[in-house]
Amino acid sequence: MESIAQQIPQLLTNGIALGSVIALSAVGLSLTYGVLRLSNFAHGDYMTMGAYFTWTLNLMGLNIWLAMVLSAAIMVGFALGAEKLLWGPMRAKRATPTTLVILSIGLALFLRNGVILAWGADSHQYKLPVESALNLGLVKLPFNNFLVILLALGAIALLRYILQNTKVGKAMRAVADDVDLARVTGINVERVVLWTWVIAAGLTALGGSMLGLVEAVRPNMGWFLILPLFAAVTLGGIGNPYGAIAGAFVIGIAQEMSTLFLPVEYKTAVALLIMMLVLLVKPQGLFRGMM
Amino acid sequence: MVEYLLSYLQAKDYLVFLVTSVAIYSIFSLGLNLHWGFTGLLNFGHAGFMAVGAYTTVLLTLAGLPWFLAIVAGGLLAAVLGLVMGFSTLKLREDYLAIVTIGVSEVVRTVVRSRAAEPLTRGTLGIQGFALPLEQFRPTLVTRYGMMAVFSLVVGFGVWRIGRALLGRFRSQGRKPWITLGLMGLVGALGLYLWTVCLESIYNFKANPVQAGLMFLSVIVLAIVFVGLQLLVKSPWGRVLKAIREDEEVARALGKNVFAYKLQSLMLGGFIAGVGAAFSAWQLSNVYPDNFRTDLTFNTWTIVVLGGAGSNPGTILGAVIFGPIVL
Repeated sequence: MESIAQQIPQLLTNGIALGSVIALSAVGLSLTYGVLRLSNFAHGDYMTMGAYFTWTLNLMGLNIWLAMVLSAAIMVGFALGAEKLLWGPMRAKRATPTTLVILSIGLALFLRNGVILAWGADSHQYKLPVESALNLGLVKLPFNNFLVILLALGAIALLRYILQNTKVGKAMRAVADDVDLARVTGINVERVVLWTWVIAAGLTALGGSMLGLVEAVRPNMGWFLILPLFAAVTLGGIGNPYGAIAGAFVIGIAQEMSTLFLPVEYKTAVALLIMMLVLLVKPQGLFRGMM
Repeated sequence: MVEYLLSYLQAKDYLVFLVTSVAIYSIFSLGLNLHWGFTGLLNFGHAGFMAVGAYTTVLLTLAGLPWFLAIVAGGLLAAVLGLVMGFSTLKLREDYLAIVTIGVSEVVRTVVRSRAAEPLTRGTLGIQGFALPLEQFRPTLVTRYGMMAVFSLVVGFGVWRIGRALLGRFRSQGRKPWITLGLMGLVGALGLYLWTVCLESIYNFKANPVQAGLMFLSVIVLAIVFVGLQLLVKSPWGRVLKAIREDEEVARALGKNVFAYKLQSLMLGGFIAGVGAAFSAWQLSNVYPDNFRTDLTFNTWTIVVLGGAGSNPGTILGAVIFGPIVL
């Protein structure tokens, strides 16, 4: 048995890897909340579907990275379809947040059972060459976790570029701040909504695929992550994607560190506890305001 | 088809089981109806309340507490769970309650089934072999006649109240009277038959004391919960709840403490859910953590929405339709 001091660096690295996965998906959740005012409970199942598409393409002989990109593209198409069929008409009807929450939970159940119907309830692994773990002196970093962290950092940098430097990104921030004001300024809100889904679904599918890399691909994988996701988004201030990234790393590291003094099964409870504490003490989150 | 249905009607034990199940479903659905139907609270963690209620009751019974104290304690602890969830979320936008309730119910289930809690909850193995209410009860003939009379009174009163409420709704919709009457006749005949089956089971109490006793108790408790809720909902307290459901700001503008009312509703509904779950543990004579998955929450939502959220008789009707379909 290693001493606690020896375990800490290892748990920290694991936490950063988990935090990267949560961060990718939490950004999507935060964007849909900020721009569309939608608490999307089906978000975790978008992750699951992303992972399953990657697995299927990977099984068909495609390179895993290519499979991830293709799967993200498929999920973008799916999210746009859901927007056209479901969320768009609902917004046009001025549905209340309550209705949207119930709808998204229904969609989540539908998707999860759809995944079980299409791919079965077993858990799967990607077909990957086995890489030895990187030995960084104090800690061992499995090669996959290393890639996950790297990819997450890349995706976050890209997101920052899009939001701060492109026209679409600026429009997105304007819509998140005040829809009516943005519309008066001449911003095409419908286009911004579509772009939000493109970014959110792409990052979420990527996050799901990476979760499949770190763990296994199974129908419940995304659903069980919905709590840490919402915790990260709440912690970072709802609707603030950068806050969500920071929140994701806090949640990821806290979950892994908690195993020092709590049974492993209580990991999700840690995320919940953090979320409830934040809601109690500082409901606007650590980083106030929109983007 | 007809023979199949007739064979069902002859399985009297099954029918008593069905009546008990429907009564239990009705009890915990009434709790959710108070949350969602009357107060507009998005509670997606009903299974969490139920897990707390059922486990507390069963564990306390195992520790030697009499069943009627154990079930009250189970309900109270479920209400405390409502207090904890409500305190952190009820002042915020309604989605937060949905997130936290769904999370808490899953965490409660994970904690109960975790290895660390095994000394207490026996983890995934579940708990069996706990004492059931009225197990040792051997009523004399006079007592049994008394129970039959009480049962008939309660059922008669319930049918009158629920029938009146539902009939009024049908009438206001202006359906063709003969369709409604035919349906009512069919349902009435079925109900009458079920009533005699239940009476027979009480009369033959010794043949299956647990089953007959639970059927009797669950129907009585359902009646108490139903009447209590109907009175509460029509009281000034209930009118404030409905005002909050319709428009929180209006209720606040009238000087009502919206947070306190919501918290009370969440706790009372949680108490009712805990009591209902204790009955369901007794009926199955076991508890497993995986009985309390989110599916249970969504089944309860189906019952409430099916019968018409915001109507107590409707919720019971929802359970009457839903129960036999899933069992």
